[in-house]
Amino acid sequence: MSEQVSRRDFLKLAGLGAATTAVLTGCGPASRYVTREPYQQMPEYNLVGHSTYYATTCRECAAACGIVVRTYQGRAIKVEGNANHPLNLGKTCARGQTSLQGLYNPDRVTDPIKRSVRGDVASETMNWDDALQVVTDALKNHKPSEIAFLLGTSADHLFDLVTDLANSTGVNAPVRFGALSMFEARATLSKAAENLFGQAGLPWFDIANAQAVFSFGANFLETWISPVSYTRGFSNLRKAEGLKPRGQFVQFESRMSATGARADEWVPLRPGTEALVALAIGKLVAEHHGMEVPKIFSGVDPAEVAEQADIELEALEHIAKMFAEAKSIAVPGGAALGQSNGLAVAEAVLALNVLADNIGKAGGVYLSPLAPTETEYQRPASIQEMKALIEKMNAGEIKVLFVHGGNPVFELPLALNIRGALGNVEQVISFATFPDETALESDYVFPDHHFLEGWGYQRVATGVNLPVLSGAQPVVSPLYNTRSTVDVLLTASQAAFGNALPFKDEVEFLHSKVIALMGEAGGSFSATDEESFMASFQQYGGWWKKSNGTTSASDSNVLDKTANAEVAEFAGEGEFFLVPFVSPTLGEAGANKPWLQELADSTTTVMWNTWVEMNPETAHHQGIHNDDLIKIISEAGEIEVPVYLYPAIRPDTIAIPFGQGHIAYGRYATTTDENGNVLQRGANPADLLSIHFNEAGDLAFAGMKVRIEKTGRTKPLSRLESRIGVYNEGMEGH
Amino acid sequence: MKIDLNLVGAKGAIAEAAEGKWGMTIDQDVCTGCQACVAACAMENNLSFVGEEDAGYGRTQHWIRIERFWEGEYPEIKATPNQPMLCQQCGHAPCEPVCPVFATPHSDAEQLNLQVYNRCVGTRYCANNCPYQVRSFNWRDYHIDPFHANMVDGKLVFALHNQFNPDVTVRRRGVMEKCTFCIQRIHKAQDTAKAEGRDVFDGEFTTACAQACPADAITFGRVDHHESLVSQLSHHERGVKHLEELNTLPRVTYLKGA
Amino acid sequence: MTATAKPYSKSAKTHDAHHEDEHDMKQYLMYDPKPRGEMNRMVMESMTTTSWKFWVVFAILGVLVATCFVYAWGYLIAEGLGVAGVNRPSYWGIFLVNTVFWIGISHAGTFISAILRVFKAEFRRPFTRAAELMTTFGLIQAGASIFMHLGRVWLSYWLLPIPNQRMLWPNFHSPLMWDLLAITTYILSSTIYLFMPLIPDLAMARDRSTGWRKTFFKILALGFRGTEGEWRHLTTAMNIFAFAIIPVMFSVHTIVSWDFAMAMRPGWSSSVFGPYFVLGALHSGMGAVAIVLFIMRLTMKHMDYFIRKEHFDALGKLMLIVTFAYTYFFFNDYILQWYGGDKWTDALLHWLEEGPMSWMFYQLILFNLVIPAFTLWNKKIRQTPWLLALIGFIINIGMYWERYLIVPVMLTINRAPFTWKLYQPNIEIFLTIGTFATFLFFYMLASRLIPLIPVWEVEEGQMTHSLRKVGKAELPTISEFE
Repeated sequence: MSEQVSRRDFLKLAGLGAATTAVLTGCGPASRYVTREPYQQMPEYNLVGHSTYYATTCRECAAACGIVVRTYQGRAIKVEGNANHPLNLGKTCARGQTSLQGLYNPDRVTDPIKRSVRGDVASETMNWDDALQVVTDALKNHKPSEIAFLLGTSADHLFDLVTDLANSTGVNAPVRFGALSMFEARATLSKAAENLFGQAGLPWFDIANAQAVFSFGANFLETWISPVSYTRGFSNLRKAEGLKPRGQFVQFESRMSATGARADEWVPLRPGTEALVALAIGKLVAEHHGMEVPKIFSGVDPAEVAEQADIELEALEHIAKMFAEAKSIAVPGGAALGQSNGLAVAEAVLALNVLADNIGKAGGVYLSPLAPTETEYQRPASIQEMKALIEKMNAGEIKVLFVHGGNPVFELPLALNIRGALGNVEQVISFATFPDETALESDYVFPDHHFLEGWGYQRVATGVNLPVLSGAQPVVSPLYNTRSTVDVLLTASQAAFGNALPFKDEVEFLHSKVIALMGEAGGSFSATDEESFMASFQQYGGWWKKSNGTTSASDSNVLDKTANAEVAEFAGEGEFFLVPFVSPTLGEAGANKPWLQELADSTTTVMWNTWVEMNPETAHHQGIHNDDLIKIISEAGEIEVPVYLYPAIRPDTIAIPFGQGHIAYGRYATTTDENGNVLQRGANPADLLSIHFNEAGDLAFAGMKVRIEKTGRTKPLSRLESRIGVYNEGMEGH
Repeated sequence: MKIDLNLVGAKGAIAEAAEGKWGMTIDQDVCTGCQACVAACAMENNLSFVGEEDAGYGRTQHWIRIERFWEGEYPEIKATPNQPMLCQQCGHAPCEPVCPVFATPHSDAEQLNLQVYNRCVGTRYCANNCPYQVRSFNWRDYHIDPFHANMVDGKLVFALHNQFNPDVTVRRRGVMEKCTFCIQRIHKAQDTAKAEGRDVFDGEFTTACAQACPADAITFGRVDHHESLVSQLSHHERGVKHLEELNTLPRVTYLKGA
Repeated sequence: MTATAKPYSKSAKTHDAHHEDEHDMKQYLMYDPKPRGEMNRMVMESMTTTSWKFWVVFAILGVLVATCFVYAWGYLIAEGLGVAGVNRPSYWGIFLVNTVFWIGISHAGTFISAILRVFKAEFRRPFTRAAELMTTFGLIQAGASIFMHLGRVWLSYWLLPIPNQRMLWPNFHSPLMWDLLAITTYILSSTIYLFMPLIPDLAMARDRSTGWRKTFFKILALGFRGTEGEWRHLTTAMNIFAFAIIPVMFSVHTIVSWDFAMAMRPGWSSSVFGPYFVLGALHSGMGAVAIVLFIMRLTMKHMDYFIRKEHFDALGKLMLIVTFAYTYFFFNDYILQWYGGDKWTDALLHWLEEGPMSWMFYQLILFNLVIPAFTLWNKKIRQTPWLLALIGFIINIGMYWERYLIVPVMLTINRAPFTWKLYQPNIEIFLTIGTFATFLFFYMLASRLIPLIPVWEVEEGQMTHSLRKVGKAELPTISEFE
């Protein structure tokens, strides 16, 4: 910036007052009149001062945990949980903790850039005036129906803005997508909830107050929907207090996840049989209670199911007995839903809850409350909907695509070929903060602030029984020449469409949305004037109702339906079921944070790379050893991954974490060879996924069979654990 | 009871009588192994990340690591309860007497094992002698590897350095380091309490790991205050201290079993 | 000077044998005297006669010192220990293996010159100097290796009890402090002990050289003229030192062993480590002496006069005794540890037996126990210089393995199995080559600058040994100085 002023001058200017500063901060680059240098180079006259704490909302995933960021002399030092925030009660996950390494990531896009050849890293820097002109022209020179927005699952205020824009100008309604929503199969969950509660939305599982949890593939301790809140629930489930005994936990899955590793009973069923097993348990439970077997469960034969699922009938009966005798809750999720019969799985599992009579009761299943300002649950796009968008792009119906908050080129299955589809879009404008794969395929990158530099709000979709609107505010002034996408769109849309969005800036837009809550009763705080209300909203990190907002009104006759009692179908040829799962440490977009890379995976302790989990027995028969690089071939593609001999996976299954395999996205997400060429770090299992859907339109990502080939090469995996101490390697006789 | 553990003869018998001051309990039954504590520790204490190769070679700088083993064989296989392992702040620490330069003395005031970075000459004897293997050594100048820097106007700029916690020293190569029980937070809380003319109350502050832990598995506080939560938990019947047979008097209690 | 005639032990022989023996007496250096002038000339010549081969080897070593020692160490200091192979849990690596190894080598010198001097073992006379030089140069390598090992070597003076403003003192509880003091004492005393017997030889050399050598020797000889009084003082001092250095020698390696034995680790925490290490040191030291004598005899002029089969034979016997003593302690250590049945020690022993480094463990047994014990019985082998040197070499490899097993390999196994990792040396390999090259470089340099044979000691010995005619037979006699 040209108007850089020294720190000494800034101190003189400080007399302008805090209010000015706050507004300036909200206006983006204009506030950047302090030069930042690492504190080691602080001028001598600087006194070691006090830290300042700002409440905001974490956007590393869409769960919307409230955080408080400790800042010190203009720098964000530490992320803490916001103890007041009802979703996470002061707790954070590893991804939230390391979000600072995103803020201070050395690979951030620092200026608006123009790329003459898509896919080429070479680019030229622009100024924001020109950038705004590009956006204005893009909006002005195309028919509204030719303009589309592809947004990520977080930054709800941007989504609201674009929705408003769509409503007032007729541009395409924004499509939201994230890899997590794909692996969580949110459309399936939402559809199943609709069938159960008569209303679409995310079910909320109150595992804290249950006595026994039966999870069908749900990885709720890792990345699933709202991991911090579910981890708290799990912790409370386990804690025996007074009369409440320690709760039991049973996990059904073919590959032991970090969640399954904590289960009392881990049931390695054959992939695709989850629905059958749930139904069989329902039948056995009904029989145990001596009641008439509800219609939905009546079609299965437990003995036959046990055989199909490759588990002992006794084990099934034992689990059914556990279910029947405790206050039980059943949770569907993860790979179980990402199969051809995913919706049937979800419904069978939810039917178990109906059978357990826990709907709307403590320790049972609720429909998550709608967040304040929300009128209906806005779920992210399913892959089927993404496919529709891609088809529109391929048909040339979309001339301008704005991308924000996601990295679809990396996250979507390669088989969907979004890269090719982007080629059919005249102009692709990315608002990426980091130089990810999608930004690489864009004509322009107009970088948004990092979320810790920006304003906003995020709706808590699930995880708590209160309706929560989580507030976000800048905790540091922007580091680089970035600009809030909301501001960019406001300015450009005003230039293109007149006063379609009549707001001066992002802060005013937020104000208009949030201030509607001022009149609502039963809120976490109240205020008599708008300024105080907005100030409190930022100060508390959001606004939430103090009363339970869950609904469970259901006259559903789930139990009287006829179940789809069939094994899931698997696409492709090969001897192995493929289970892709989201890396518990990296999540969907953590690969560029070096400390997330260096966290040991919870189950394998692998760092910095992708691995494929394989049963040691199977590997032994195939002559495969640890660290052998094998080629995995699906009907859609192939990748090469080093092997981790994982003792807790079915012999007929292999599993690969999602999160690595970047070819862009910064120095920590990729590797470099000795010549400095950027190479892929790890591998991306999305390259293997073929396009098959379940009944709700979610991708059947776990509904594939693959084969493997040895390559004869090895790639040593970096593990935290000792192979000697944990697997007795080199001490076999001991 | 104030005991100068650096006095000759104070090591064994007297130390055993010492209760310690700060302590921690970790409930292994609820630990999910999510690594939030590790990340929080790294952010709070300016830990360096070492990259793929060094990490795989046993050079990670984690001050807390989560250990898991396996029991049984497929399909009857179980992962053992996650075991977060960090400096146990032994009352009778094997690392202390072996340092030739007193870089790892015992704090009389806080009853902690201190690590004096600027005194350390890097003999690594302490790390050898630590039965918990929780000390990490700065094998290289990880923080100032030019790989992490961008060249801006002819100068190397390390953007990530902006995140450093100014309350914690940034260590350079050749220095041993380990968990400090977030001693900077202890001091800050004590200073605040002293300024307000009171004692630090239980739960007023906590360590970075305990603060982050989504499962609330980690509890930190005064073990010598019998009404404090950590003191009560550390006397829980599930409480186990690691390698207690070595008479190290660890201050971390693990709650095992269900 | 009183002459006490002693009958030579090999007397009950046939006439022929007796005749042979009589002929054989000349094979013993002590009974094969040469005039003083002649002997001095021989020693001077051995020092000044330098073939081009010497310079080639010397130049190669010089290059190795510059690259593998100086440059590699500088690189290590600049980059940090990341360029070495140390990791968690093997925080100590080859640097400390080298330290223990070189201290072990250094023991031979003191043992041979002090203990054998005290016990008046006559065969020692021609090679005390060579062994003492090994002590000094070995200790220099040991010291250098410790400093290589330090993470912040530029602050190593903090280990010394230097008075300072902040009253920061070193920690005398730490075995490393004991180590530092022991090694420092040992370096100082062994250097003095090397120097004192050198004075008469330096004086001799001074009187027989010209040019810069004369100046060099003149300074070092401290004006020694060989008067009665000077000899008396020197002998007294040497006697005192010979007695005083023996406990230092035993203590230094005991203390080195305490670096390990005092630590709370399976495999290390062993009460027998003190004598075990002392014997191990002697084992490798004796082997090293055999190698050095062989090389001296092979390469230096006139050395076949001074160093004879009898010396190799005597050294071989000594090595055999040390082998047995070492074997005793070896089994004492391992069997007790095994019998103790401690969970972690048990894991460690399995690691040694079955782990990837088990080959080293078995080679150790073969090289240190089996080969010397079964070969050194044989007089022919003992008297064949190259064979004895080869056995010495094998023992030294075995002893290096022993230290390697004790430091990084045993460090792999601790009480935290989650951290067990194998150590793989990296830059240490170069620095190890560097220390060996530096040792040899110093040694070769010394062979050109100071007499490697203590001429006066040999002459003294020859004066006290004589063959007396009793009837027809010549009987060897030994007299003693009062």
